[in-house]
Amino acid sequence: MNDHAPARSPQDLDDAIAGGIGESPIRPDGALKVRGEYAYSSDLWAEDMLWGVTLRSPHPSARIRSIDVSGALKTPGVYAVLTHEDVPGDNLYGLKDVDQPVLASDVVRYKGEAVALVAADHPETARRARERIDVDYEVLEPVTDAERAAHDETLPKVHPDGNLVRYQPILKGDPEATAEVVVSGTYTLGMQDQAFLGPESGLAIPAEDGGVDLYLATQDLHSDQAQTARALGLPQEKVRMTLSGVGGAFGGREDLSIQVHVCMLALRTGKPVKMVYDREESFYGHVHRHPATMYYEHGADADGRLVYVRAKLYFDGGAYSSKTPVVVGNGTTLGVGPYVVPNVRIEGWGVYTNNPPCGAMRGLGAVQPALAYEAQLDKLAEALDMDPVDVRIRNAISRGESIATGQVLDYPAPVAELLERVRALPMPPERDGTELDIRELPGGASNTTHGEGVYRGVGYGVCIKNICYAEGADDYSTARVRLQALGGEPAAMVHTAAAEVGQGVVTVQQQITRSELGVERVTVHPNDTDVGKAGSSSASRQTYMTGGAVKTACEAVRRRLLDRVAERFGEAFGDLSLAGGKIVSASTGVLTEIVDVLGDEVIEETREYHHRETYPMDAEDGSSERVQVQHAFSAHRAVVDVDVELGLVKVVALDCSQDVGKAVNPDAVVGQIQGGSAQGLGLAVMEEIRVGDGAIRNPSFTDYLIPTILDTPPMKIDVIERGDPNSPYGVRGVGEPPTISSTPAVVAAVRAATGKDLTHVPVSPEHVVDFGE
Amino acid sequence: MKPFDYQRATDTDTAVATVSRNPNARYLGGGTNLVDHMKLGVSSPELLVDVSRLSSDTVETLPDGGVRVGAAVRNSDLAAEPIIRQRYPVLAHALLAGASGQLRNLATTGGNLLQRTRCVYFQDVTTPCNKREPGTGCSALDGYTRYHAVLGSSEHCVATHPSDMAVALTALDAVVHTQGPSGPRSIPVADLHRLPGDEPDRDTVLEHGELITAVDLPALPMAARSNYRKVRDRASYAFALVSVAAAVDIAGDTIRDVRIAFGGLAHKPWRATLAENALRGAPATEATFRTAADAELAEARPLSDNEFKIPMARNTLTSVLRDLTQQEGS
Repeated sequence: MNDHAPARSPQDLDDAIAGGIGESPIRPDGALKVRGEYAYSSDLWAEDMLWGVTLRSPHPSARIRSIDVSGALKTPGVYAVLTHEDVPGDNLYGLKDVDQPVLASDVVRYKGEAVALVAADHPETARRARERIDVDYEVLEPVTDAERAAHDETLPKVHPDGNLVRYQPILKGDPEATAEVVVSGTYTLGMQDQAFLGPESGLAIPAEDGGVDLYLATQDLHSDQAQTARALGLPQEKVRMTLSGVGGAFGGREDLSIQVHVCMLALRTGKPVKMVYDREESFYGHVHRHPATMYYEHGADADGRLVYVRAKLYFDGGAYSSKTPVVVGNGTTLGVGPYVVPNVRIEGWGVYTNNPPCGAMRGLGAVQPALAYEAQLDKLAEALDMDPVDVRIRNAISRGESIATGQVLDYPAPVAELLERVRALPMPPERDGTELDIRELPGGASNTTHGEGVYRGVGYGVCIKNICYAEGADDYSTARVRLQALGGEPAAMVHTAAAEVGQGVVTVQQQITRSELGVERVTVHPNDTDVGKAGSSSASRQTYMTGGAVKTACEAVRRRLLDRVAERFGEAFGDLSLAGGKIVSASTGVLTEIVDVLGDEVIEETREYHHRETYPMDAEDGSSERVQVQHAFSAHRAVVDVDVELGLVKVVALDCSQDVGKAVNPDAVVGQIQGGSAQGLGLAVMEEIRVGDGAIRNPSFTDYLIPTILDTPPMKIDVIERGDPNSPYGVRGVGEPPTISSTPAVVAAVRAATGKDLTHVPVSPEHVVDFGE
Repeated sequence: MKPFDYQRATDTDTAVATVSRNPNARYLGGGTNLVDHMKLGVSSPELLVDVSRLSSDTVETLPDGGVRVGAAVRNSDLAAEPIIRQRYPVLAHALLAGASGQLRNLATTGGNLLQRTRCVYFQDVTTPCNKREPGTGCSALDGYTRYHAVLGSSEHCVATHPSDMAVALTALDAVVHTQGPSGPRSIPVADLHRLPGDEPDRDTVLEHGELITAVDLPALPMAARSNYRKVRDRASYAFALVSVAAAVDIAGDTIRDVRIAFGGLAHKPWRATLAENALRGAPATEATFRTAADAELAEARPLSDNEFKIPMARNTLTSVLRDLTQQEGS
């Protein structure tokens, strides 16, 4: 096997077309991005535009006594200064619970909350005017401890209804079950940033109809449109949005940031207004991954078979709800991991505090418990003197078995196979003591060791992640496909609102259209709100959902075309197919060219694709016949070298086996897995937003560390395709699982190298080092 | 960023006179630190006098065998200088362990010495900080202190000095030449930076308007046997938790002489004279190294989040000395 090429099962698709499904055509944005020529939303420009800035709260909790904007308004060059009193519609928004003000009115609930807006003819003028806004705050004691917030009724209430966003238990089997071997642990996870490179930015242009056109970077145009229109007091059709170049997302662009603000300024001034956050503001301007404290107890029989799992999970949602309810749902439903457990008692709490708001991030709600349950499986293996992979395989869930909610997995769930495969991947070479390149050692270029005091460890991690929206959400995507002859050749145009956030969904849409219509020339229309919803580029769902919509729309276009051919040539519809721009009959061969059938006509069809229905969780026991649409699995093996004198970790290898159902674009699949693995590595050994007294202490990429190329090893990526019969082409979401299973694998490897009982990520030198006496 | 005036200096005397008479004027070198601080609001000079093309940007050998480094020599160029790589490897290593290639291409020798702390509270203008605004208090004392000082701090400031290069220069007995309002003078690098005391806003002993023009490295033959190790949270592009610069002169198994400085532990590059004294004339053994490290670190006072720095410093020093004393010849 080639080390870095994905292993793939045979394809059953017609692959006659170049650049179709299963190939890896060049992505249209790739070369531009590499050359630095790609236009990101922060590059947007309009003649005569103004610049908008945001005044943010310096306090994590305070009452606003008054806001005086007169000084700012007097500043030459300033066109508008807006506060909560200027919000035209509802001064509230939110992804799930509508609980977050567009601009704070009576209270601020976190440091960095938006309080006022300024538009001026120069960004520096706007910033200076911002300093002249006088806000009189009555500073209050912040709530910062999530676990206390869940139970302590004496704490101040962050919101009028209290500090609990969601409590969800899952009860299955015997709550009092006992077992021969019991292991327990408490695990904590710091706040992780999505660390996308393109800061929040957009350009709003007021329109003659009283509406506004917003060009922006986002993950979900229609979600932004609905929330923004509501806050602006406008009908949705007057708030039009167009996707501009997105510099990464990872969940951090699901919540609103600049959207309402920049539109308010444009509508008030009657001029185009641009907003761009700087890096520090970006840290305060988007949600982060929920920090968590997790108490786990696992019971197993003498053969290592799990008898029960009991857990309490606390998720710090920060000041506003955002995706906290979903984090609690995912965290509890997936809280035992990809294992069969007869008796389960898991409780999850998502709470409000005065910490920065937390919400969507890659691996939503599944990253946190994976750190804990995988550490627990290793503890169990040790207690039983079993191999850590064997104990996982013994308990691995498979097709036909059910997760803790009772949902039966009616599709392949090759957890044991993934573990076997990742274990069988070639190991990296041992260090032989002659290695001279210190960049390969812990500390890298820092010259900290030449190999002395360095110990190697190996660790495994495997995970389960739900794909698409869950718990009864109406999840769908829309595609409009147009087929016509252009310059004598058939050409297709695909129009969806699916946000290209770097994952490659534009290319995927082209590939599907090529394969379905037998047409090589496929253009993807700019993504905007002129077409129906696509839903968010999150939950690993766009290839499944928008891919499904494009497939369905293509099928409708093809039907119209072939109906006409069947009639004209007297062929049976079922005998006809499209290939290479031609129409082919199974009985008589090539009949004609697509362009000849089309003539001057345009065939256009718009279709929605809905996945199977899901259902809510029972409030008392968490049960649900189908809480989630689909589950995806990945397994990692990490090999680390640890300098135990200084506590430095070098991840030597981080290899992954993952089932992707169907690799629509194998190169993009490998890229997703490598990127996800690197993000999980970052969480394992360095990434943490340091929050103290409600404030972010490291809001920069100098102080918030993400892995560099020196910290990231080459990765062997082993892709298998066990198609899901319920999904288009059998696809299974790819993006999130590798972010989840990589972290526990790295931490397990560090434990193996050091013998330390590591319970917090990120692992820091002081957790690892052997300081002697 | 506040508006400011910019002047390119034409000669040293004029530059010194211009900055000296304006308390809100500052010198601009590579700008890699000062410009950040202007953006953050940490510093708001009204006049920048650009000296990056003024001072010498050459490295020359002195008659006494020492080496003179012009204040405008860029960090990348200094690290690549053959004479530095051969005779003062600790300095080349320290330079290359700092910042990123892009920053090193701009940062100057003089500017690197004068870079200011990376303390998160110093950089966050919404929090009290005695270094930024004297008398407002120290937010770090009850705050996040993982990167803070364990040696020589005061109740007014627990920040650390961020430079790698300065740690190597301190170990090497380097001397800074300045031109100030009161004329030229020379200051050992070890005396250039201050401990915070009750004036943490003053990083160095320099007067306002005093300009670093060059740095002299003494001949110091043992510097050929020197090294710099930096412990940090990722393999590159991160500030030191702990760093050690050291040079040794060894005869047989006996340490004849030694130079040691720590980074990441104090408000200034920390010359480890107690450790040096413990090592001079002592056998080059693991036990000696540890004893020496303990002698230096006996007075260390950790804060809530940085107790680990003390054993980490001991282990780092021990491994550097082990490495240097086991090298073949010099």
